[in-house]
Amino acid sequence: MTSTRAPSSAVTSFVVASRYMPVFLALVLLVIVASIWAPTALGSVALSAVAPFGALLGITALGQMLVIMTGGIDLSIPGTMSLTAAMMVGVGNQADDRIGVAVLTALGVGALIGLVNGILIGGLKLNALIVTLAVGQVVIGLVNRYGRTFPVQSQVPAGWSGWVSARILGVSPIFWIGVAITALFIIAFRYTTIGRRFKIVGANPVASRVVGLRVNLNQVAAYVGAAVLYAVAGVALAGLIRNPGVAAGTTYLLAPIAAVVVGGASLTGGLASPLSTFAAAFFLAGLNQMMRVIGLPTALQFVVFGLVIVGGMLVSGDRIIKVVERVFRERKRTRLRDDDATAKSFPA
Amino acid sequence: MGALPLEENMKRTTLIAVLAVMALIAAACSSGGDPTTTQAAAPDTTAAPVTTAAPATTAAPDTTAPSDTTAPPDTTAANPLAEFGESIDADPALVEEALGPVEPSDEASWNIVLASVARATQDLDQATIDKAIECWGNQECDTGSGGELVMGFADGGGNDVNVWRSVSHMEAVLQALTYPEIGTIISTAANFNADPAVHANDIRFLIQSGVDFIVGYPDMGVAIADAIQEATDAGILYVPFSAGWVGLPDQEGALIPGEGYLTVVGEDLCALGESFARILNEGVGDGKVAMLGGTPGNALSLGWQRCTVTSLAEGVELVNPPANESSTTGDTNWFNPIIPDVFRGLLTPNPDIRGYAYEYADGILAGLQAYTDLGIPVENLTLALRTDEQSLFCDWADRNEPTYNIWFSAGGNFQSRTGVTAAMLAINGADVPPEIVVPHVMRQVTPEDCDPDRVNPVVSGTSLVPDEILALMFAG
Repeated sequence: MTSTRAPSSAVTSFVVASRYMPVFLALVLLVIVASIWAPTALGSVALSAVAPFGALLGITALGQMLVIMTGGIDLSIPGTMSLTAAMMVGVGNQADDRIGVAVLTALGVGALIGLVNGILIGGLKLNALIVTLAVGQVVIGLVNRYGRTFPVQSQVPAGWSGWVSARILGVSPIFWIGVAITALFIIAFRYTTIGRRFKIVGANPVASRVVGLRVNLNQVAAYVGAAVLYAVAGVALAGLIRNPGVAAGTTYLLAPIAAVVVGGASLTGGLASPLSTFAAAFFLAGLNQMMRVIGLPTALQFVVFGLVIVGGMLVSGDRIIKVVERVFRERKRTRLRDDDATAKSFPA
Repeated sequence: MGALPLEENMKRTTLIAVLAVMALIAAACSSGGDPTTTQAAAPDTTAAPVTTAAPATTAAPDTTAPSDTTAPPDTTAANPLAEFGESIDADPALVEEALGPVEPSDEASWNIVLASVARATQDLDQATIDKAIECWGNQECDTGSGGELVMGFADGGGNDVNVWRSVSHMEAVLQALTYPEIGTIISTAANFNADPAVHANDIRFLIQSGVDFIVGYPDMGVAIADAIQEATDAGILYVPFSAGWVGLPDQEGALIPGEGYLTVVGEDLCALGESFARILNEGVGDGKVAMLGGTPGNALSLGWQRCTVTSLAEGVELVNPPANESSTTGDTNWFNPIIPDVFRGLLTPNPDIRGYAYEYADGILAGLQAYTDLGIPVENLTLALRTDEQSLFCDWADRNEPTYNIWFSAGGNFQSRTGVTAAMLAINGADVPPEIVVPHVMRQVTPEDCDPDRVNPVVSGTSLVPDEILALMFAG
């Protein structure tokens, strides 16, 4: 009986938790390193200045996390963010009374982009990487065209940039929006049927289909939800940088994927933690800021950033589980061998 | 009897007529402005063009006023470019508008600069304006001149992503429209794409399109050297402006202007860097300063940063020295969305930075947002800048902070015109120097430098694009 028994529940909990642990350890490490090399980066004012950018990355990473939980990937983030940011200029028309219309239009357009991705991937079963890359290119083309309908480098309505730059409890509202979305996801995945079903379908779509769960709908919903989050990030980014132009989202292609990976999500679908993903986004934003603070040359910044992502992949996710499993399996084998040897040394 | 006086009268009349004709020719020559007259004049390379159109700070020479000893020398008589169809009799007011009260650069460079400004007429007819907008807004256009030459314009940025780039593009288009030999303009824009292959492919597209010459700004520098060399090998002249060296000569993989490509138009980067340092030395005295740049390793930033570093005074502490001689520092990619990040990185450990050197004024405006985020007041600050976007100057005027001072050189949009003229000179057989040095002078911003009625607040004050065209460009 001992040989077929699963590891103890405590160990199981540790193994599952371990996939999300590295990002928090990395955050602690980052704080330690920063306190030595760049202590000013840990000041409250410096942190509050980085918070909205960390939250922006966090929001896009949460969208990417939804998609990755279905076993897919989304490369249309730059296009979606750029278009929705540009809409704050085009639809907003520098008039405060048009902020509401601009935000709603941007979110609607974001949802539409997600729907197109979702139908092509979930409905027509096309490859997610190729489809989202192609849709992203189409959207970038559209935003360039759209950008000609208003003067280049025009500003968003002053009321919008004012609100985004304001402080609530000392931090930008974007940070609190990110926190709220993260909390919503945690509650949904843990306490709601729809959330748990979403995770199950992502973890094993074949079995889910067998038991009657609507896998395709799940995928479509993931892409729509993700694109709405990109749109939220896009409109917020527009407010932060005031004149977003038509390429504001270009730096958000790989960082959200990195945050999801460093956050311990399974790239094969199913397992992911909104909290660790959001934390990973802050880790990456903080790392980026620290590298600038210590004056690392741009070339080295790219190198360090890439190495950290590789390191994150090495110590998070399935890899740790597999290593732990291997250790347990070896121990079991050793124990069985010892038991057999003991049995043989005592003849009946 | 009567015949003799008649003969004498005839001789006298003929003499007077000859003298009159000579006087008329001389008068026509001294009034200038007519390129055909200029071409007829014998080129005199010994006459220094330096004094011909050098704009003075206090009073620009008045070419229309007749004068004897104090009048500027006859420009047409000193025009070595006349045989190539160019006048160097540029309107001094336009020269000063584009460059400020500069001292001329070397003669060969200065003549080409003057020739390019001489074509920058501000009084355009509606048909030309319509054609300019058409050529600026479309990838390809027929200029309607019936000319056989095809001009390519390859920009690493583009109309849709940056005002400075879009205005420089228009300057090149307007210049091309002054040459009836140019029948087609083909334009590409890489929109600041981070992939060098996109920029190189634009050059290759222009090669395949059969252009005769390419004017542009190579944002990717040495990373697109292969494509530029392919253009040169195909007999296509490549002329980068705004000091867009395809790598500085000592950079690995760099092309040498005059060999790998026709010429580079731009300021003497080391002199520009020294000017920046001088402004910071005087404005800051003792204190911290930072340098900002564009895309990592780009030749423009690298060129001036090298000389700024070595020219800073002892009491001035550079908080972000470059890693080595081949590295730029404070890389912003000239991309407004990431500029606040760069400023935060500098200001977090050094909230007491008292000066910046940078080539992009509007980028500073984006960066000032970091001051707000970090709660640092914008005061005790000296800026040494290259471009002159109105947005920053108006923000400066609004702040009304006496300890915050800005010095600038010039937007340099018109340099794309110089690129076009340089290429046309080469096509017409002129010897074009491998570097066309555009002189610069640092000026302090005053409230008059903010024009709240500028059609787009981000347009440089030194652009030579007429207002009615700017209005059409940025109408949306």
